[in-house]
Amino acid sequence: MATDTQPPRLARPATRTMGRSVLLTLPIVLWSFLMFGNPSVHQDLQAHIAGAMTAVFMIVLFFMMMKTGTTYRWRRWFFVSLGLLFPIGFIHNVIAMRGTMGIPVEEMIAGRTPFCFMPIPLLILPAAFTRTLVFPGSILPNGGMSGSGIAAMVGLWLAITLVIGKGWCSYACFFGGIEEGIAAVPKRAKIRKIDPRWRYLPWAVLLAMVLLSLALFEPAYCMWLCPFKAVSEYVAARNTVGLIQNGIFVLLFAGLVIALPLLTKKRTQCSFFCPFGAFQSIFNKTSIFEVKIDQSRCKPCVLCQNACPNMSLSKESVARGEALMSCMKCGACVDACPRQAVVWHIKGTDVAWKPERARLMFLYAAWAMAVMFGGSIIAQGIATILHFLA
Amino acid sequence: MVGPILFGEALALGLASGPACIAACGPVLVPSLLSGQAGLRPNVRTLTVFLGARLLGYLLFAVVAWELGVLASLVTAPRGLMIGAVYVLLASVLLWYAYSAKHICAQSCSDTKLVNISENKHRLVAGAAALGFLTGLNLCPPFVVAGIRAAGSGSVVQALLFFSFFFVGTSVWFVPFAGLGCMVRNQAVNTVARMAMALIALYYLTLGIAMLLGRKGYGH
Repeated sequence: MATDTQPPRLARPATRTMGRSVLLTLPIVLWSFLMFGNPSVHQDLQAHIAGAMTAVFMIVLFFMMMKTGTTYRWRRWFFVSLGLLFPIGFIHNVIAMRGTMGIPVEEMIAGRTPFCFMPIPLLILPAAFTRTLVFPGSILPNGGMSGSGIAAMVGLWLAITLVIGKGWCSYACFFGGIEEGIAAVPKRAKIRKIDPRWRYLPWAVLLAMVLLSLALFEPAYCMWLCPFKAVSEYVAARNTVGLIQNGIFVLLFAGLVIALPLLTKKRTQCSFFCPFGAFQSIFNKTSIFEVKIDQSRCKPCVLCQNACPNMSLSKESVARGEALMSCMKCGACVDACPRQAVVWHIKGTDVAWKPERARLMFLYAAWAMAVMFGGSIIAQGIATILHFLA
Repeated sequence: MVGPILFGEALALGLASGPACIAACGPVLVPSLLSGQAGLRPNVRTLTVFLGARLLGYLLFAVVAWELGVLASLVTAPRGLMIGAVYVLLASVLLWYAYSAKHICAQSCSDTKLVNISENKHRLVAGAAALGFLTGLNLCPPFVVAGIRAAGSGSVVQALLFFSFFFVGTSVWFVPFAGLGCMVRNQAVNTVARMAMALIALYYLTLGIAMLLGRKGYGH
């Protein structure tokens, strides 16, 4: 299977005029100002500069999406920046707070673990059976048990997810950007044939981790399998089991986030491992936005399949005129199609009904969330770098 | 009157401990049911074999508990070794089961390789029995509580009856698992279930080996 992630530049949708593009960008300008213009949030000069840089960055990218009519490569700038800057800001905060990236189990029990969305599916069964959260995280900067804070974050995640579905994995996840950036480095994929059955593995990881979390009463994925522990906070290794856990984190990160994306030009961790991604796929059923293939225009050239970074298009799904349930709505296939047969679509409408309007509606929802979630993380990363440079 | 009260207590303890038992057995039971054939009947059969073997594990434990009296040895080093050995065996059976289940959904009834399905059926029944027996020996907290209570029984028969009633109490919670038979079976479900079994097996194997080597599983 050919695996060029970068969409070819054969034919683009018609570009917009400057004035119309500015007009369409205005809501994002206002939203960015609301997010980063509050002086009480940013207290020092570095934070002010970082906020301003982030706002300009997000606005310019959205403007380019409007101007060029393409999505993928502008989104990728944002997503890779998010992936690279998240560890910088996060590690700095963790070390400033705790003095180490290692987290001892008593800190976890005390609820001094920063909130992460990854264990959300792992919370469900233990909470249903015992009304207890097995992820004692906190959204407060100095820790402390904060069940209501976590409930608010889970509520926010659910609201966003119901709207954009698995778009979360392309516009909000602060982990996927690292591998997307690495996948963009080589010109051609070394591994072109990937057994499609590997697409089932994230569901298996999800099933295994949900069941083990209930059995062990701990977020099993975070304790044993999360590759991103290697660049966030790992288990403080006080014994052999701790060492094994950290070894697994490092191996998975090196394999799934660095080596395989380089070889395949795919987001391999997202496509073939991430249980949260599998969980998010379910919400593609609730989201009104989707990617469709207009059969009347499609010549099966497989450019869309090659462009998809997580193998969400197969010969069979293209023949059915739709992407698979795992589609992350990154826009790579839409941008890659020279016949504009792959389109953004709103459920319940005809496949050919105003795809650009569907794209705009999706992008406003997704980019507003990207500014709010990802933007604040990018700003924090930039502020950390500025802090070190000052 | 001591008998009925004791057995009522065992039943109540089993009913109350059901969620904990489901939690402990879920990682083993759910993927093994999902990797099997669709339909209520095959699932009920697998579940019955699993629970029957689990009862055997319970009864064996009841005899041991009664023999040991206060279960003193179960709270010291041998307990870790026993759990470690059970985990390693459980992992081996899970891996074998995951491998054995690979043809279940790939072949329909009209397939010429029907004989293979039949062979697999027997292997999977044996697998379900082995998994049930090993989870029956798994020392989850309510099980240890029941063991301590049974250890104080007047006779080995009372200890056996105590565990039987405890088993009945916990088994009520397993009945909904038969509903998994109503789920559609296709290559995707079968593959996901087998992959999940392999992952869970690797987890148990890691913990089991660590315990056999005398390493701490928790407290990092």
